[in-house]
Amino acid sequence: MKLKRFLLRYYPPGIILEYEQGGLLKTKSIDLLDLRPETDTDLVVEEIARKEQLITSSKIDQVRKLVQRLQEKIGQKDEHHFYLFKVLRAHILPLTNVAFNKSGSSFITGSYDRTCKIWDTSSGEEMHTLEGHRNVVYAIAFNNPFGDKIITGSFDKTCKLWDVKEGKCYHTMRGHTAEIVCLNFNPASTLVATGSMDTTCKLWDVEKGVETVSLGGHTAEIISLSFSSSGSEIITGSFDHTVVLWDVRSGKRIQSLVGHKAEISSAQFNWDCSLIATGSMDKTCKLWDVGSGRCIGTLKGHEDEVLDVAFDYTGQMLLTASADGTARCYNAVTHNLVSKLEGHEGEISKITFNPQGTYVLTASADKTARLWDPETGNCKQVLEGHTDEIFSCAFNYEGNTIITGSKDNTCRIWR
Amino acid sequence: MGLLALLRKLKSSPDKELRILLLGLDNAGKTTLLKQLASEDVSHITPTQGFNIKSVQSSGFKLNVWDIGGQRRIRPYWKNYFENTDLLIYVIDSADRKRLEETGEELRELLEEEKLAGVPVMIFANKQDLVNACAAHEIAEGLNLNSIRDREWRIQPCSAISGEGVRDGIEWVIKTCNSKKK
Repeated sequence: MKLKRFLLRYYPPGIILEYEQGGLLKTKSIDLLDLRPETDTDLVVEEIARKEQLITSSKIDQVRKLVQRLQEKIGQKDEHHFYLFKVLRAHILPLTNVAFNKSGSSFITGSYDRTCKIWDTSSGEEMHTLEGHRNVVYAIAFNNPFGDKIITGSFDKTCKLWDVKEGKCYHTMRGHTAEIVCLNFNPASTLVATGSMDTTCKLWDVEKGVETVSLGGHTAEIISLSFSSSGSEIITGSFDHTVVLWDVRSGKRIQSLVGHKAEISSAQFNWDCSLIATGSMDKTCKLWDVGSGRCIGTLKGHEDEVLDVAFDYTGQMLLTASADGTARCYNAVTHNLVSKLEGHEGEISKITFNPQGTYVLTASADKTARLWDPETGNCKQVLEGHTDEIFSCAFNYEGNTIITGSKDNTCRIWR
Repeated sequence: MGLLALLRKLKSSPDKELRILLLGLDNAGKTTLLKQLASEDVSHITPTQGFNIKSVQSSGFKLNVWDIGGQRRIRPYWKNYFENTDLLIYVIDSADRKRLEETGEELRELLEEEKLAGVPVMIFANKQDLVNACAAHEIAEGLNLNSIRDREWRIQPCSAISGEGVRDGIEWVIKTCNSKKK
């Protein structure tokens, strides 16, 4: 094994090692999830050198510099005030979902008007309209971090793979017998997973555009899915009240997470994939141990359905958003309530951290999106202007741009 | 009603729930009718650019009513909403004599849709409160409704603004769906 170079990853903090082994170029990451500005740098470097044989004594100085750079970055507490940059009369019918590419240079919007559009973030100009679906384009995703492909899932039961640069359709994947409502690329961008109202999840080969495996077993609609960071596992959340952990290669079920008393709304891994958080219409959020499949905590307190859950990038904090109009921030390790986010006048349907973990963004039926301090629960800003409810929202990786997609047919860029 | 609620409403409805599609030309009064059904204020209504959904309880049934915008350029997208429809409500502006032909044409096309085959249709001859409104029987003749043989249908004069006639129409809707679901 020979170390070729270091790459820095800011969110979540980590150092990526690019090395050669048997003539092949490989990478591995050293996660520094607990790193703080005040952490003793020397201790961290020592620990890394002890655990990682690729870090020889000649590399120590370089590693120290990288750790210091990360600490500086984490320590930056720039208060960002967002203002409305552009209103995009994006579609002729309501938007569904929105998503950024990794660099944030472009983003995509899906719509009831059966199209997906690619936008340039800095100018707000439309780059391509992806046409071809015969019904609502509901689920959309970039193949981040690469960002050269897009997958769109539609109520027309198909999903389409597109080229970002030319806006051309590579493949139309057929096989589902009902609406496709969730999807994503695996981290290596070799597979696409689609979840459908037909109760199955299918995996598709990106290169060939063919189905590789169908994950059957749920007894109701699949509405949420998520790959593990390694890409070897996937979880599916269903209206059948359960979440299933699957082995991607074999398509076999590893665990069924049973315990919620109503439909699942969202299922997410934390960064190191030791935990799964699930939100449910039973008004609770549950935390599960991935290894054993056991429920290790039930977060109660919401007075209505939990509609979304989200970890921060390090996996140490957890957010829940509810139809009761409030959101909550929990410590994902201790399960203690950190803060309540109160102020929306309608249900909160989407919630997310910025990659830095310093802001929470919520999208609500009250036509506003709001920014919150997760530590105190104080509302920092109300993003007003949409004339109908907001269905989706997203932060870019830098955390300095927000997009919101609404039932009012527009998309707004805030920076 | 976020995206998740939309997905839940996509599912085929259980016994005591009805999925009702509300269609018609722009300015026919669909949203006013929807708000009247939900006992909401009908004084400030703007053209629907997308859709509105309301769930209304009536006679032990939960009516999930989808009001879809009727402007010409978004009519081709009505198809998005056909799946699992239990009943179609078609709203006509009875005072807009110039567009009776156009509304008849749209209705005829809807009745030919495969996904709406056999779906009962309730036609509201709306805006009866206006003096120049056509009577329901005139509209029925003009649109040749008697030629509809492949489903149950009914025409009901009403005023969505005042609410007159709306209740009678909904009673028929529930009765018809009830006998179909059994």
